[in-house]
Formats: sequence, C-alpha cells, structure tokens
Amino acid sequence: MSADTAGPETLGSLSDEPQHQDPNSQQAKEIAGKSPLRIALGRLARDKIAVVCAVVVLFFIICAVFAGPISHLFGVSLETPLASERVDGLNNNMPKPEMGPPFGPFTWEHPMGVAPRTGNDNLAYWLYGCRISLLIAASATLVASVTGVVVGLLAGFLGGAVDKILSFFVDTFLTIPFLLAALTLAPILNERFALYDSYATIQKFSLVVVLALFGWMGTARLIRGEVLALREREFVQAARVMGMPTSRILFKELLPNLAAPIIISVSLMLPAFVAAEAGLAYLGIGVTDGVSWGQTILQAATPTYFREYPQYLWQPLLGIVALVLSLNLLGDAIRDALDPKTRR
Amino acid sequence: MTQDPNTRAEVEPTEIGANAAETGERRLEDTHDVTADHEVPIGDLDFAAVAEHGHVAAERDPDAPAVLTVDNLKMYFPVKSSGLVRRTIGQVQAVDGISFEVPKGGSLGLVGESGCGKSTTGRLITRLYTPTGGSMMFEGQDLAKLSNREMKPLRRDVQMIFQDPYTSLNPRHTVGTIVGAPLEVHNIVPKKQVIPRVKELLEVVGLNPEHYNRYPNEFSGGQRQRIGIARALTLNPKILVADEPVSALDVSIQAQVVNLLQDIQREFDVAFLFIAHDLAIVRHFCPEIAVMYLGKIVEIGDRETIYSHPHHPYTQALLSAVPDVKQAAVGGRRERIRLEGDVPSPINPPSGCRFRTRCQFAQEICAKVEPPLLQIGKRHKVACHFAGELGAHPATPVTTEILGVDDQGSAVPGATPAARLSIPGYEKTWYDLDTKQTAGA
Repeated sequence: MSADTAGPETLGSLSDEPQHQDPNSQQAKEIAGKSPLRIALGRLARDKIAVVCAVVVLFFIICAVFAGPISHLFGVSLETPLASERVDGLNNNMPKPEMGPPFGPFTWEHPMGVAPRTGNDNLAYWLYGCRISLLIAASATLVASVTGVVVGLLAGFLGGAVDKILSFFVDTFLTIPFLLAALTLAPILNERFALYDSYATIQKFSLVVVLALFGWMGTARLIRGEVLALREREFVQAARVMGMPTSRILFKELLPNLAAPIIISVSLMLPAFVAAEAGLAYLGIGVTDGVSWGQTILQAATPTYFREYPQYLWQPLLGIVALVLSLNLLGDAIRDALDPKTRR
Repeated sequence: MTQDPNTRAEVEPTEIGANAAETGERRLEDTHDVTADHEVPIGDLDFAAVAEHGHVAAERDPDAPAVLTVDNLKMYFPVKSSGLVRRTIGQVQAVDGISFEVPKGGSLGLVGESGCGKSTTGRLITRLYTPTGGSMMFEGQDLAKLSNREMKPLRRDVQMIFQDPYTSLNPRHTVGTIVGAPLEVHNIVPKKQVIPRVKELLEVVGLNPEHYNRYPNEFSGGQRQRIGIARALTLNPKILVADEPVSALDVSIQAQVVNLLQDIQREFDVAFLFIAHDLAIVRHFCPEIAVMYLGKIVEIGDRETIYSHPHHPYTQALLSAVPDVKQAAVGGRRERIRLEGDVPSPINPPSGCRFRTRCQFAQEICAKVEPPLLQIGKRHKVACHFAGELGAHPATPVTTEILGVDDQGSAVPGATPAARLSIPGYEKTWYDLDTKQTAGA
C-alpha cells in the first residue's frame, strides 16, 4: 500500500489554475464571509417582537438624549415660575382646570398636565426623568459588565489561586442583601456629601456605584463558566503554541467568543437597573432632587392624588413598564438569535 | 484553484441541496467531468514515472542529523485530594522517561492506544506543558528548561497541527486572521504584507486564496484542517508536531491531508513528529516509528522492522489488531492476539515492565526489573526481557547479562549492570539477540 500512485483526488486539485476575478464583482462579494454575529443580526431582524421592542427602546433613547430640544419644542420646561398660577390651593393643590387634566380638557401648553402642589410640567419631568433613568442604568450596566467580564475572564483563564480569590469576592458580594446595603449606604453618603455644591452629581455617581457594586457578580460567574469551557478548546492551545501573549489570548481570542453571553447579560441587566433605580428613588435613596420617575411615583402615590388624578401616577409607571418590558423582550430575542441551537 | 466543486460548476450556494434538485433549479448543463479534470495527464509515461508523480511512502534520509533530541522526558500530573487543603496524593505518570530523536526533514511516528501519553508528548515538545524532568534539545537549547519568555522566539520553529479541525480554529475570526495571527504575534512582516502571505499559504495548502475573509464555519472538515496546517506553516517551522492530524477526518479526506503533509515536508524540509493511532497512515507517512505503552516507549525502529519483525509483545498485539484486506481475500486467517484486561492506571503503574499485567510471556523477572530500551538491530530498539519475533520469543530473559541479574530477576552478586543503556538516537553497535553478543554494522 505504500507505493500508491497519485490518486485523482490528491493531485488534480493542486494542478489547475487559480481563477482570477475582479475583487468588486458580485462573486467576490459573496466570497466575503458572514461573521456569526452578522448572521445573528439577520435573525434578529426577522423577529417581529424584537423589532417592535427595538423601536420602543429607540424611542426612549431618543426621548432621553433629546430631552432638552423636545421639551423646548413643546414649550415646556422644568422651571415653574409660580406654583399658585397652576394649582388650586383650595382644591387639595390640584391643577387648575385650564392646565388640562384631570378637571380640564387637553391643552397643548401642558400636553401631559401639571403636577399637583408644585405645578411642575409633567412632560418635561417625564422626559428628564427618562434621561436620568437611562443614564444611571446605562452607566451602572457599563461599569458592572466591564467589571464582571474582566473578573470572569481572569478567574476562568488563569485558574488556581486567582480563581479562588476572585470567586470568593463574587460569593461574598452575592451574600450581601442589595436592598439592605443600599438603604444603609444612602444615609451615610447623604450625610457625608450633603453640603457639597455638586451634591446632585455625587448622588447620581454614588447611585451608579451602588447599583454596579451589586450587579457585576452574575456576569462574572457567567463569563467565568464560559471561559472555563473555551479554555480547553484547541484554538486557545494553538494560540499558545504560536506564542501569543496571555492578554492577547484573553481579549483577541476569547473575548469575541464571549460576545453572546456579554450581550445577553447587558440586555438583561439594563432593565433590572432601570427598575432598581426607580425603586430606590421611590424609597428616597436614589436621585432626590425630583427629576426622576421614581420620585414622581413617590409624590403621586398618595390616596388623594390617585383618586382625583390617577394619570399623574400612570405616566412614569407606564414609562418604566414599557421600557423594562421592551428591554427584557429584546434581550430574550438577542439571546435566541445568538444561540445557534434555537432554530425558528 | 479551488477545493469547492460548487464554485466551479457555478452553482449558487442557496441552490445546493435536495430542494434545489427537486425544483430543478440547479443548472445541469455544465457537463465537464470533475474526475477527469482532476486526473493527472498520464499519457504514455511508464509506471516509474507515474509513481514519481504520486505519493509514495516517505523514505528516511539515513544521514540526516537530529533536529530534536528528547532524552528521558517525564511528565507527571499531580492528583490533588478533595477538601479545603488540596494536598498532592499521587501522580499520573503520563510520560515517564521517553527518549527519541526526530531527524531533520524526517518524521517519527508515535503510536499507541488511547491514554498512553502520545498527545502529552506532543504538548510537551510544543511546551503547552512544562515537563517534570528530562530534556528536549532543539538547536542547542533545551526546550524543557526555557521560560515562556525565552521560549517565544523558538516557537517560530516548533509548531503544531491539532486533531480536531472543528475546535482548533477560532469561530469568530476569519481565515485570514487565523493564518496571519502568527505573523502579527512575532512581528515578522509589516501589516500590509500579511494578507499576501496568507494568500500564498492558502494556495500552498490547496485552498482558494480568495477565501481569506471567510469564517471557519463555511468550510468542511478537510478544508478546516488545511487551514490549521496553513497556520502551522506560517512561521516556516523546522519541526511540526502533528497530533492525530487526520483522525477527525473522513477516510476519503485523510489521504488528501496526509499527502498534503508529505508535499509540505518535501518542499519545506520540515521535520514531523506524527502522533496517530492509525497504523496504516503512520506506515505511509513515517519511516521511523515509536510504539508507546503507558507512558513509555516499548519499541522503536524503522518502518520495515516495526511492521514486519516486531519484537515486543505489545507491538505484535497492536499490529494483529489491524484488519488485513489481503488475508481476507485469500481466505487465510491470521492469529489475532487478544490482550486481556484493561490498561493499568498510570497513577499506580505495575512494577518492572509496565506491560507485564497483560503480557502472555510475563515471568517473575518482568515484575522485578524494568526492561531497558535495548538496541537489538541497526535501527531497532525494544524494551522487553523476552524480545523476539512472533512465535519465537526466547524461553529465558535476554537482558540478564546486561542488567546483571539472574533469570528470576534477582541481582547476581558481583555483576555490574551496564551504566547507560539507552541514548536518544541509535548507536553503531547493538546487542544481538541470537548470539547474545554486541554486534556492529
């Protein structure tokens, strides 16, 4: 068997001429491959629920980014010249009929009405509340996912003592009850920074820190598990054989393969943080200067206002529910699209 | 040049498959014969000339110097106890003192059953593991002692082809990135020249160079293995460790890939350490073969000796397990040597000879004294007290004089065992089994 002559399958393919072709031709474009992420994106675009959710999310993002121009367009602002011009002190501080609901008809001056007692414009507060909500949720997500990814990568890839120490921190943070820690931290921070000029900024910053501090562990665990599985794949060993430095292996070889779990954890973390931010604001330990959906809910949730003026409560609630729901559904759709095992 | 017949037949990728055939969408007017296309124009050449075109079994260059010399290489993996304080309670002796040489531009085959330490040996040479002991001399440097930093420049010369083409390519990188990565890591060529070099390499391994920006998932198993080979060739290595490079492939593709490896060896003068369990492929590819059992080399020699005159009972059993078409055709039945029992645990290997628990010739000496890897021919070494051809195993141990023991394995007073019994390569003189004398060429 050792003296076999050339089989047709061995030499023929090496002997024919390479086909020259124009790199801009249709055929050449088809040769350019599709990355797995682009295939997933194509699948996502065919998912109707995902598209609707993406449109809703986009709407909220536009509201948040262009809160200033939009409120200017409607001629509303956060400033209230004089509360008594808008609210009726003799009628439980309810808005006057000419300000719109609940006692008057719809008016373009205040499309979503005004708040009882303070007379603030609801639309302006809703738009800026959306901005605060998304800003805090997005930055907390960013901080938490970057921390989680780095911790997970290091723990999973380096293993040994590094893994033990990092996993210990993950477990420790998981044992601390989030709400209790947040409730404890808020008065301490308030006391400490109450007299600073930039108190509002510090407050938002500390809110991001608190949210991120108790949000990174899930991602870290997820990424660590994925890395443990990927580490044994032969392409990582091939990278080692060619002498690739560890940092390059981590960020150029492993990280692209972790795109799916990272996107999933981000898309599920974001709505959780939006809800948590509103919840904390309602408890009085979030943003306390009033421009926040949670704060509006806190003010609206009194029996009198709710009986007479339920729209005041529904507006921020609807924003939170729509945003969280569409973010969650979008996250699920992204996970389905990225998972090659789900075929629909 | 393309491997994909669809490209040539101008079949749109979406048309491929049963649906296209049913709806008649596939254009069938393309009539050229793919097989004839691939056929080598033989014409009126004689057989010898045709054979020259083909892939014959690789031959050994007898004067080639060793490019890699492995001496007494050991790899013990610790076994940790469970619990808070994880103490080492044992060691898996995956590779326990093996020695061999890989000649320059030649190839050494490493065969053995699963778990015998073949792959570990390959990973030791590429320094995916740090050896517990021994040395691996490569160009005057001991790969076993180098730190990872010192190892980096040498990694250009020692590359590896992996077993499974489905996990050895990063699914998120294009072929161009995968094949070009070694160039970037070692900063060999400017960034602009990476793509031309990648295209050149893809052409060498028989792939369409225009496919450099495709992803691995768009290729078949054989094509993926070619990509893996191209990556290993990127740095012009001097030695390639091929860890079962064809065992994950379809049989029809195995021949293509093995022949490609032979072409590469001839063209670039690369030395191969060819790890495999398919004896037929090793026979075709490697002029020299080492048989491993439980972390040790039991027999090493050139192809003819190992396949025609094996002296170790394990090699004989291994070869008898290979189905033989010729014998089936003539109706004769060959005696099949069946090994009893399982491979012993490498954590606690048997004393003396490791094969003795399954060996039909085992006697008391086998449990007491470990047989040395004794050179018994010009290029033939065997580690057995009762080394002999099949059916002609001696009744008394052949190694007693060298080891200074009696037939039961007890030390003979006054006798001095030979100091150094095994060197990585071959010596000019050897111990002749028939005459029990040192013989020479």
